[in-house]
Amino acid sequence: MTTPILEIRNLHARIEDREILKGVNLIIPPGEVHAVMGRNGSGKSTLSYVLAGKEDYEITEGEVLLDGENLLEMEPAERAAAGLFLAFQYPIEIPGVATMTFLKAAMNAQRKARGEGELSTPDFMRAVKTAGTDLHIDTDMLKRPLNVGFSGGEKKRAEVLQMALLQPKMCILDETDSGLDIDALQVVSKGVNALRNAGRSMLVITHYQRLLNHIIPDVVHVFSDGKIVESGDKSLALQLEAKGYADFDNAAA
Amino acid sequence: MAFSVPVRLGAAENTLIEQLNSAGAAATAERISVAGLPTRRVESYHYTDLKTLLRSVPPLADQNDTLDAFLKSGATPFHVEGAHQITIANGAVAYDDNAPAGVIVGKAEGNALSTRDDVLVHLNTALAKESLTLTIENTIEQVIQIDRRIEGEAAHVLDSAKIFVADNASVTILETLSSSDAAHVGNHATYLAVGRNTVVTHIVIDLSPRAATQFSTSEYTIADGAKLRTVTIHAGAALSRSQIFARFTGEGAHGDFTGLNLVEDGQHNDITIDIRHGVANTTSQELYKQIARGRSKAVFQGKIVVERDAQKTDAKMMMQGLMLSNEAEILSKPELEIYADDVVCGHGSTCGELDEDSMFYLMSRGIPKAEAETMLVRGFIEEVLDPVENEALAEALHGVVDRWLLGKAG
Ligand SMILES: Nc1ncnc2c1ncn2[C@@H]1O[C@H](COP(=O)(O)OP(=O)(O)O)[C@@H](O)[C@H]1O
Ligand SMILES: [Mg+2]
Repeated sequence: MTTPILEIRNLHARIEDREILKGVNLIIPPGEVHAVMGRNGSGKSTLSYVLAGKEDYEITEGEVLLDGENLLEMEPAERAAAGLFLAFQYPIEIPGVATMTFLKAAMNAQRKARGEGELSTPDFMRAVKTAGTDLHIDTDMLKRPLNVGFSGGEKKRAEVLQMALLQPKMCILDETDSGLDIDALQVVSKGVNALRNAGRSMLVITHYQRLLNHIIPDVVHVFSDGKIVESGDKSLALQLEAKGYADFDNAAA
Repeated sequence: MAFSVPVRLGAAENTLIEQLNSAGAAATAERISVAGLPTRRVESYHYTDLKTLLRSVPPLADQNDTLDAFLKSGATPFHVEGAHQITIANGAVAYDDNAPAGVIVGKAEGNALSTRDDVLVHLNTALAKESLTLTIENTIEQVIQIDRRIEGEAAHVLDSAKIFVADNASVTILETLSSSDAAHVGNHATYLAVGRNTVVTHIVIDLSPRAATQFSTSEYTIADGAKLRTVTIHAGAALSRSQIFARFTGEGAHGDFTGLNLVEDGQHNDITIDIRHGVANTTSQELYKQIARGRSKAVFQGKIVVERDAQKTDAKMMMQGLMLSNEAEILSKPELEIYADDVVCGHGSTCGELDEDSMFYLMSRGIPKAEAETMLVRGFIEEVLDPVENEALAEALHGVVDRWLLGKAG
């Protein structure tokens, strides 16, 4: 059997005294797109932050393997260089850091960590231009400070742009559809779909079914109260949409 | 009562008194023998207790010896592509006659500052022997660099520059303070008369080594319609204080007073400003950023005075501090003194550590921690450096900050 890109085993995490992840189990084989659906507050963003290595959480149990490597032992930057990418639900605004400067620093840092040489400026510009065109991102936007004054849609497109440039093997998209109108949703989904390939896996977190009409998942998981309570094919998303989450809360209990 | 007991004088004060007496400045010597150097009880030195901090003062520099030696060495501590350089070494003014058209360089006896009851000003007035005089007649594209340096063995050096920017002229003046690696005490004075409808940028950077103590006083008068930007950068001496005294004397003028106080382990650096709006319809913005790491102290004292006739003054002062260690102290004392009634004035002050969410965001993209910190610190100071328009100069200033970040400043 091929090594899964992501394997989460019985993951428990808490913030201060409160347990938020209560035993998450998930296996994502190469090339598959898995959706995680759950109501607000169920712990979806917490899962994404714990995977990306945010400090605030204490992991009390479980393990996570990224392409067979122990993810939880790595620093956040090492996780990124190892191929993990989180598209944030709320991308952070960083005044004073130009978006272009940031993109170049990120790409070169990952190349350096993998023992590759620095990207030349023309190569970098070309890569940004190509990826940006598909996402309807003009270069003026990239001259602004990172995410500062970006509209909700611009922020989400900028996240997908970073994903396209960094070419991760495991993409986590946290509510990438939130704050998008239907046109922007199409652009973003198209950008994400363009990145689907046999070696790259995705975990698409959402609480609306609508995104999954555009990014069609291989597997859908229902997340409730800190764990996955049900898994199925894409029809599970429709079922959820029709019935709501209430039915699944019982399964969690 | 405290004031009836004579103050106990320390080594630094005794040396200063001796130096003042030998220069015939009996009145200033007398002031120091009576009052001593200012302590925290003197309001304008509240966070910089000179009596405690200034332990000793080296002998007065011998200008002639060292100037010759320096002129032979020709070293430049800080090079800005295309800048025209004038040197003041150990108090002596040195220049050649290749100044750009519209720049008149000369020297005059004595000191440039107006009288002001401040000990650093008194010392400079009493002990600076000559002043560089600089007149800017029209629009000067070349950056004019005044390279103020102290060479040789530890010395007490007092120097002075008097700059006139004629009506309608524009110029960028860069002053760099540097020295050989010894326990110098520098006391640099600049008077800058900003003429009508001028556009002036005046930058003062302290790049002296850690062994040195550096004091500088810049005094400005700002005429009608002038636009002045000042940038004060501390990236050097263990003990330093830069004083900025400005007065708006003509309507329609605007001043941006900005600075970076970069302070690391063992340092105590102070920026003290006193901005006076003396006539109606003038505006100013004060923006100072302080970054402290290690066990260090960064001090900003900002005073804005709006005089009685200065109606329609608009003045906003901001201090932002960034703490890079728990042992660092960032102090800020803003003061507004307003005697006019129709004005808009405000001040704010924030202090914090690097934003954790921003750090996590950058690291989650593969940028290692140290590099992410550097990016955020650079981002933090950008607001101060960004308005510097001359590209070569902006690049050199970024270089100063980057070297400081890498721990190689001074
Ligand atoms: N920093 C925090 N401190 C305390 N509680 C938190 C923090 N972050 C999230 N939580 C709590 O954890 C739970 C899960 O939140 P989150 O992971 O954001 O859920 P979701 O993304 O599914 O909406 C919520 O009850 C939330 O209030
Ligand atoms: Mg969430």
